[in-house]
Amino acid sequence: MINDEIMQMHWQHDLLSSIEVGIVVMDKHFNVEVWNQFMENHADLRPSEVIGKSLFSLFPEIEESWLRGKAEPVFNLRTPVFIIWEQRPYLFQFGTNRPITSDATYMFQNVTMFPLSSPTGEINKLCMLVYDVTDQALGKLHVERLNDELQQMSCVDGLTGLYNRRYWQERFDSHFKLQRRRDNTSTAMMLDIDHFKNINDTYGHQAGDEVIKTLARVIQKSVRETDLAGRYGGEEFAIILVDSNQQNAAKVADRIRRLAEAMMVEHEGQQIKFTVSVGLSEYRADVKSNMAWLEQADQALYLSKHSGRNCVSTWDMVGADSAPNPEQAKA
Amino acid sequence: MTTPVLICDDSSFARKQMARSIPDGWDVELSFAANGKEAIEAIRAGKADVMFLDLNMPIMDGYETMKVIREQDLPCLVIVVSGDVQEEARERMMALGAIEFIRKPMDNAKLMTLLTQYGLYSGEASAAGRIAAVEKTTRNTADEQLDAYRELVNVAMGRAGENLARLLGEFIDLPIPNVNVIEATELHMAIAEAHQNNRVSAVSKGFTSAGIKGEALVIFSDTKMENIVKLLNYGEHASNEDYQLEALMDVSNILTGACLNALSDQLNVSFSHSHPILLGQHSGVTTILNNHASRWGKLMAIEIAYAIKTRDISFDLLLLFPEQSMNKIYTRLVEEEFVA
Repeated sequence: MINDEIMQMHWQHDLLSSIEVGIVVMDKHFNVEVWNQFMENHADLRPSEVIGKSLFSLFPEIEESWLRGKAEPVFNLRTPVFIIWEQRPYLFQFGTNRPITSDATYMFQNVTMFPLSSPTGEINKLCMLVYDVTDQALGKLHVERLNDELQQMSCVDGLTGLYNRRYWQERFDSHFKLQRRRDNTSTAMMLDIDHFKNINDTYGHQAGDEVIKTLARVIQKSVRETDLAGRYGGEEFAIILVDSNQQNAAKVADRIRRLAEAMMVEHEGQQIKFTVSVGLSEYRADVKSNMAWLEQADQALYLSKHSGRNCVSTWDMVGADSAPNPEQAKA
Repeated sequence: MTTPVLICDDSSFARKQMARSIPDGWDVELSFAANGKEAIEAIRAGKADVMFLDLNMPIMDGYETMKVIREQDLPCLVIVVSGDVQEEARERMMALGAIEFIRKPMDNAKLMTLLTQYGLYSGEASAAGRIAAVEKTTRNTADEQLDAYRELVNVAMGRAGENLARLLGEFIDLPIPNVNVIEATELHMAIAEAHQNNRVSAVSKGFTSAGIKGEALVIFSDTKMENIVKLLNYGEHASNEDYQLEALMDVSNILTGACLNALSDQLNVSFSHSHPILLGQHSGVTTILNNHASRWGKLMAIEIAYAIKTRDISFDLLLLFPEQSMNKIYTRLVEEEFVA
């Protein structure tokens, strides 16, 4: 009989030791009463070193008031309490299971606390289970990161790092709707590299790409974070200067024009110079659609081309009778 | 002398549960009312020296009924039998003149203690005769089943509401739970309707026992999130993203914990809980549910819209049961009743 009991205690002890889940039993004051093998191994603390001691004195990384608050329903309401790794990555600062090949430096943990009732039905103890969810957490974080990257990739032009045309158009559409309700005006800018075909023919397409990249960097440096800058076509860029009237936009445009003119693109020992033409159109309430607004900026750009390139024109300079033929002007 | 006794509850399941608890030896003439208006008529007709009164009812709820009884000084002893067991509900009803406030579900033992205490009856406790009588009138229609589920959840959500009220120190407005049997594919429509186009965050937890499987979702609308974070009083940086997750977890721990405890008491099972999973944060309802495989078949969706009106806070507890579990729940409910 006694032998049976000892046998049973023995295998139950083995069970508690072998299970790959941390088991901690504590009294109401968080003094440790049971500390299984999993906890012993990961904390590198033997049961004799922890039993009878306060969890908070043993593990200063645990925020006492926070954990006590979380555990209240266990004692008051007799309900289990669950803590997920998204709330706090870990309760105990343990290392990962695979110290060499794991991506994480610490063990992500899910924690459950539930009440243990005494024979008289009172709740004086709680049991805490600590699950290692490192792989699950890394998996989820990895997917989230990939999704962010995909999102990024689908919005950004690979060569220049500016918005691609599709995403720029999407943002432009929603900006236009907002613009109708805003007090401050905005200005649309279309920008094109002069004689780009000649650059490609003379120096090759890779040199052309270098020129485009250089111009994109100039644009990025010259506009604000809130402005909407995108690569609209091969060597054509579209920018919405948010909260800028035509006068301010013209300053930005001229800065871009001057910086571009001053740039020296080095490609395979060759030095390439280039210039840009710019068209501007300030938003006005009577414009019929976002595309009509952009078309005005495009007309201003053709005027710049027509006026000898390497300059900035605005929509109000485009007179009805002197309107240039875009097909001719654009080279 | 025969005592006229009235049972007033909108749930026929709850009325029967009450009737079954009455000891055979107590000489009563039983009448029933489905809302306060019917109850007042019955009292005026002399059918209610004693009334067992529910709180949450359509047309006229327990509070209004009690007010009318008091204002018109109607001769009736009122015992409240309620699923809403928040301290404030109790205080309000006792202040209006109820003599006792009992937690649902009512059973024979609770009733005997009460009857003895008030000297209404102190004989043999057995209610075998009533049980048999009530059983005869019970039909297993779909409506009766739904009513039984509604009452089951009513008690569970009341318990959860009480716990939450204690945590938050606020009175929680408890609705009548919305019980629907729908196609699994309609689920996201049902939820989307409740949240329109708002962004939501949701936590889900599975539970299982005795062949009953279910899932409990706690859903927060992002627009209401700040108010609850404020109420939980985490400290300085209360609008912080981390605290929103913290609030979602705290509320869901308490709501689902208390609700499942109450469900397991009533069904006499002991549920295993899965670890909660964050279904999504700040996403559209469709995104939250679309990440998960849709299955065919019917399911029971019970939607409980908790609210704290004074603080403009609301959140949903959604209990979902697949068809097989529904039938098992009903069998257990009915068996528990007649065995007890």
